[in-house]
Amino acid sequence: MKNNNLVEKLSLQVASFQEGFEILCKSYNFNEMVKNFLHLLRGNFLISDIVAYQKKQSKSEWEIIVSKSNFDKSDLSFLTESSNLSITYLQNQKYDVSIILPLSEQSVLGILIGHKMDKSSFSAFDKITLQILLQVFDSAHKAFLNQRKEKALIFELNEKIVQLNNLIETGIEITRYDKKDFLFELALERITSLTNASSAILQIIKNDKVEEQLSFPKGINFEEVLTSEFKLESGFEFNHVTYLFTLAEKETRNGITNFDEIDKLLIDAIAKQVQASIEYQYLNSLAIEKEIMEQELNVAASIQHRILPEKLPLIDGYDLAGVNIPSSEVSGDYYDCVNLGNGKTAMIIADVAGKGIGAALLVSTLNAALYSYLQFDIPLAEMADRLNKLIYKSSPPDKFITFFIAVLNSSTGELDIVNAGHNPILLLRSDGAIEKIDAGGIGLGMFDFGIPFTGQKLLMNSGDKLFLYTDGIPEAMNENEEEYSDEKMINFLKNNSGLPAKEFIDLIVKDVKEYVGRAKQSDDITVLILKKD
Amino acid sequence: MSTDFNLNSELTDKTLVITIEGYINNTGGEKIVREFSKHDNVNKLILNLENSKVVNSIGISHLIEIIEKLNQTNGKLIFTNLDPTIEKTFTIMGLFQFAEKADTVEMALKS
Repeated sequence: MKNNNLVEKLSLQVASFQEGFEILCKSYNFNEMVKNFLHLLRGNFLISDIVAYQKKQSKSEWEIIVSKSNFDKSDLSFLTESSNLSITYLQNQKYDVSIILPLSEQSVLGILIGHKMDKSSFSAFDKITLQILLQVFDSAHKAFLNQRKEKALIFELNEKIVQLNNLIETGIEITRYDKKDFLFELALERITSLTNASSAILQIIKNDKVEEQLSFPKGINFEEVLTSEFKLESGFEFNHVTYLFTLAEKETRNGITNFDEIDKLLIDAIAKQVQASIEYQYLNSLAIEKEIMEQELNVAASIQHRILPEKLPLIDGYDLAGVNIPSSEVSGDYYDCVNLGNGKTAMIIADVAGKGIGAALLVSTLNAALYSYLQFDIPLAEMADRLNKLIYKSSPPDKFITFFIAVLNSSTGELDIVNAGHNPILLLRSDGAIEKIDAGGIGLGMFDFGIPFTGQKLLMNSGDKLFLYTDGIPEAMNENEEEYSDEKMINFLKNNSGLPAKEFIDLIVKDVKEYVGRAKQSDDITVLILKKD
Repeated sequence: MSTDFNLNSELTDKTLVITIEGYINNTGGEKIVREFSKHDNVNKLILNLENSKVVNSIGISHLIEIIEKLNQTNGKLIFTNLDPTIEKTFTIMGLFQFAEKADTVEMALKS
């Protein structure tokens, strides 16, 4: 055949080569591409028997890809070793052509072409056509690989965008959950999918003991995760509790592998988000608790304020003054002076054990009951007994009230008193002698054993001073945690008792405050002084 | 590592409905591909993801494989009952360029 004819015939084939290239490029995978290529060869050379093999690596074994008949191991002897394209035309053999085509990803394609249907041998034109078709296949395969790489790159890029997007959204979603179980479930789901892990667990450890374990997917064997050859951990500690995330077995299409640096960044990021959420929840609960406490204290302060007297009664022939200075935390100090008529005045001072709304309510109960009993002019010891029973029933076991009451008959100077567990009340005689008045009984509400309260009668003479106080005075502490003390208080009383009642009260309060200095006032200060002209 | 992944399928004419339950990872993805490959001449595959809330990229690569196979035969894949997070993931991964989505299986059957 002349060269011109060859060129002319080949030029007629160009469109068919182009079409073949396009078909090959559209192949779904390598095997399908080979299958399509064998179709092209059959069509071009009218051959029925054609077999294709592949070596994944140049030194690996041949594996059959496409064959009409069963695999015949002896066929492999027709495939020669070559690192370049090799086309061998065989004479009087089972196959007419043996092709070795090294491919760009280090694999090798082997093709054995049987006899043409018309039994003719391969012409020069056939040989050139075959050479061109093999080049078409090689180009299509390269294009296929590039396309696959491009797809893989796009996939990888999209995967990174998904990871970033999920990370941001997870951070937002995690802060929305106020229930820890939901928060942990979400974190486990997200970290598993973001890292392509097979599974993930979260262990909550307290005092070296695993208190709780959660997993994604649910129902997996925790031991399998913990003993996995491929695992990744991240955790944090908060409030003496350790939260430990463990991922197991990173998945790929070719099996499982170990996690990489990006996975470590991702698991750390999720763990930090969970930590931030737990910390936020904790601080939020503290803030709510504080708010509730402040509200409670406001209520207690309001109750206390309402109960305490706005103004003390004027008693002819006497000078009376008192004050209550509440501490920042409301306690249960209480004092009152009640004009009972017929020249009689009741002076009361009390202190509830405990603080807050409970103490304030108990003072309120005492106040209401006291006003009720005072109307009936019942003996103070009996009144104390009734109050004891009432407070005992109305209060929890740790609450009681120290209580002192003195009823003054202003015309005679007689004092009828009961001291129910309160600090000894001081009676400073005009000659400077101090009498401590503690006759009475136990604090109100401590016990209900039927032990009677005992009253006491005293007589106030001209120049005598009755000094009522709560422990906020002697127990006031300075910055060195030293108490003001009973001794200092008594000395102050002795040294300043000549002052008018109001001035005395102002001065003792000032003295105590100066002593306390910058230390916080730990308790209410309540004082009452009655001076007989 | 064994994980709970279940599926069931129903073939009507050339429409295959596969309902999935569990984590769509490599194992899950392989099971879906295997189930799809059991049936010849399917031109509409409906994947009901009502009980699947988590998917990883290996699972997605299996789904892409199915989409490519269906596209070669002018078939189509319709995802239904998608969790918002999965839907967003599929959108970013470009799955909806070659696959469709519907709210329910019934709506997918009608489309």
